[in-house]
Amino acid sequence: MKKAATIAAFIAIGFVCAVPGTSQDKAGLAKKQNSMNSEYSLAKESNFYFVLDVLGRKLELRVRGMVLRSWPLKSMKFWGRPGFSGNVELVHKSTLNAPERIIIKPGDAAKTEPAPAAKPLPSGTTPANPAEFELEALELKDMPKRFRLDFDNGLHVAIKSNNAGPAGFLGALGEAWRWYVDLPLRNLFSRKDGKGLAELQLTFESDKDAQAIYWHFFEGIKGIIL
Amino acid sequence: MPAKRILIAVAALLYLGFLAVLGGAYLVGLKQVSAWPPGETGPGIADKDLSRVQRNVLQLERKMSGLLPKGLYIVIDTAENRLYLKNGADVVRTAVVSCGSGVVLEESSGKQRKWVFDTPRGEFNVKSKIANPYWVKPDWAFIEEGEAVPRDLEDRIESGTLGDYALGFGEGYFIHGTLYTRLLGRNVTHGCVRVGDEDLKAIFKAVPLGAKIYIY
Repeated sequence: MKKAATIAAFIAIGFVCAVPGTSQDKAGLAKKQNSMNSEYSLAKESNFYFVLDVLGRKLELRVRGMVLRSWPLKSMKFWGRPGFSGNVELVHKSTLNAPERIIIKPGDAAKTEPAPAAKPLPSGTTPANPAEFELEALELKDMPKRFRLDFDNGLHVAIKSNNAGPAGFLGALGEAWRWYVDLPLRNLFSRKDGKGLAELQLTFESDKDAQAIYWHFFEGIKGIIL
Repeated sequence: MPAKRILIAVAALLYLGFLAVLGGAYLVGLKQVSAWPPGETGPGIADKDLSRVQRNVLQLERKMSGLLPKGLYIVIDTAENRLYLKNGADVVRTAVVSCGSGVVLEESSGKQRKWVFDTPRGEFNVKSKIANPYWVKPDWAFIEEGEAVPRDLEDRIESGTLGDYALGFGEGYFIHGTLYTRLLGRNVTHGCVRVGDEDLKAIFKAVPLGAKIYIY
């Protein structure tokens, strides 16, 4: 009798503990199912895709469900209609000074090629001052620290690094005007014509983060916004 | 004087009107933000569907893990010039490499061809493993040097340039050794991935034919 009462007490405690968690679990489960369905539709193809986890504050590049790069967000600003999550495709990548490929003509390489090294380097180490060589190449350091990504669902994402502020007082004024006056007004009036504005600004800690995103994100890349 | 007062009054009214509209815009913005994130307000799961959804999630998790490459595989970051030899989620070895320079070579005479020296991005497989490889120089290698393209195959063969080993992943692209070790970590190649001798030997010995290569 005592044993049965103990078991009943445990079951009751378990039930009481389980009930408050159930509604939260259900919402979490529904969200998980949706995001996994979205991701599986992308991961089953061999193409790279991205996951922008706005609440988790990170942007990830993935393939086959595997995270290749993860960039944590330092801060985020948003104006407009909130319904921009789901599967998206990058239709346009733009920046003020886009990096340009170097074009060489026959015979140019013979003049610029540096001499080979004398001895091999130890495993996993960067060569001594590899940056000292001025190369005819398009490298990560040549990528912009501020740029825009336009998606097929009408979402515009401005990406920048924490240090990539606008140039000068006028630049800062222009940016403040755009974010605090122009966008709120455009948001107000675009609601009336039924289009709806969605503008997201993502700031990353280091210059390299923003530059790497520019490097890895190409027009046509698909992704999920959670 | 009255005209000036009227002008000031009109300007003040316009300014107040502008502030009112801007205030309205901020109210709308705040309302939109409060409705965010939209996923949280979506339809929930009915009690009767709960077990079905749980099964579905488990099935999706299994399907997702089934997509991951089996055994050893290679991941190459072309921006950072890093090669990772991985097994599941574990990084077995990291190597500093050199990837494509992104330079464009334009032939100014003859066929006026154009080559873009990018390392291809995507999912590939190790298609060949060659010890002591020799390089069959393609047309661009001669054109870039300002030399005439030879007609005989023998004149295109060069030994020692690709190091001790090469792993082919299709379309003439290889992961191979280099004489230019001080340029490892920089984007300097014509599309192939150059690796230092020690790393190359370890990767060559570890990775089987058919192993996946992810280049991003």
